[in-house]
Amino acid sequence: MLRAIFLLLACQLAGEGIHRLSGIALPGAVIGMVLLLCWLALFPRERPGLGAVTAWLTAHLAVMFVPAAVGLVDEGAVLSRYGVSLVIATTLSTVLTLVVTALVFRWALRRVASESEAP
Amino acid sequence: MNEAALLATPLFWLTATIGLFEAFDTLSRRMNRHPLCHPVLWSTPVLIAMLLATGTTYETYKAATMPLSLLLGPAVVGLAVPVWRERERIRRLAAPIALALIAGAVTSMVSAVGVLALFGPPWTILASIAPRATTTPVAMAVAGQLGGIPALAAVIVLFAGVVGAMIATPVLNLLGLRDYRARGFAIGVAAHGMGAARAFQVDATAGALASLGMALNAVATAALLSLVAALV
Repeated sequence: MLRAIFLLLACQLAGEGIHRLSGIALPGAVIGMVLLLCWLALFPRERPGLGAVTAWLTAHLAVMFVPAAVGLVDEGAVLSRYGVSLVIATTLSTVLTLVVTALVFRWALRRVASESEAP
Repeated sequence: MNEAALLATPLFWLTATIGLFEAFDTLSRRMNRHPLCHPVLWSTPVLIAMLLATGTTYETYKAATMPLSLLLGPAVVGLAVPVWRERERIRRLAAPIALALIAGAVTSMVSAVGVLALFGPPWTILASIAPRATTTPVAMAVAGQLGGIPALAAVIVLFAGVVGAMIATPVLNLLGLRDYRARGFAIGVAAHGMGAARAFQVDATAGALASLGMALNAVATAALLSLVAALV
């Protein structure tokens, strides 16, 4: 368990380091995620501890961003001015993304299927 | 110890945040996890009202709840685990996954920023909506780096999740899309973890593909926006 926590923290720390030293604009945690993926690929083995820790973190992700959302307390002016336009833009973008992603996925799936059937 | 001093201890706000979240989470479970009953949607306004009522600054609250925020980083790193677990499927479906991911990531950024730009908001607001399809912690980090407002990004992402979870089934049925892989992946890319939670309610394959879509889009959107930031 502790080893899994250390692995996650070490990947994040390395990610933050790469982010700061190289000037890559990707957030440190996202670089850390790529590093962890590389680590798992380099040293493949059963990791029940890591599975348990990440499952717990993912299951409780929502409570972790409450403190950030409460930060809206200082953004009253922005919300009252742009609240409606934010709702419109977010709704349209979500529907459009859903449709485009699904259609492209289906189209590519059919192409792959028809290619593998061809002689 | 007087009342004001108790409010000033980090323990008070940490306890209040977790307690309120748990209470609303229980309610949400009773409502069969309806997206509109998402616990963040309800605990946030209550906490804001408490801050205002007690005259507590956000800085105080933020410092008190730091232990929760600190967990976000390792949680994002941990998204690598489901991706690794799905590696066989990724290999088999490499082309559909890669193409749909890029199409989805670009569509989400361009449409969100494009529509919002019509209303003429300042850059800070546009930067806050650009990563709206990624999972909340990534959106907050990316928005912060682009010069946006992390708190606003968090709420936009949450709202996108509510919309996605509510409209996905009717919209995908309207398209006549029956393949659960395409359906799941699309909802994960469009509506992150909340979409994935909805997908798991419908079908296990859809849920697995949705988690994958969420994790991959966190990297894709963050990478594309970093590129944009570097070029601008």
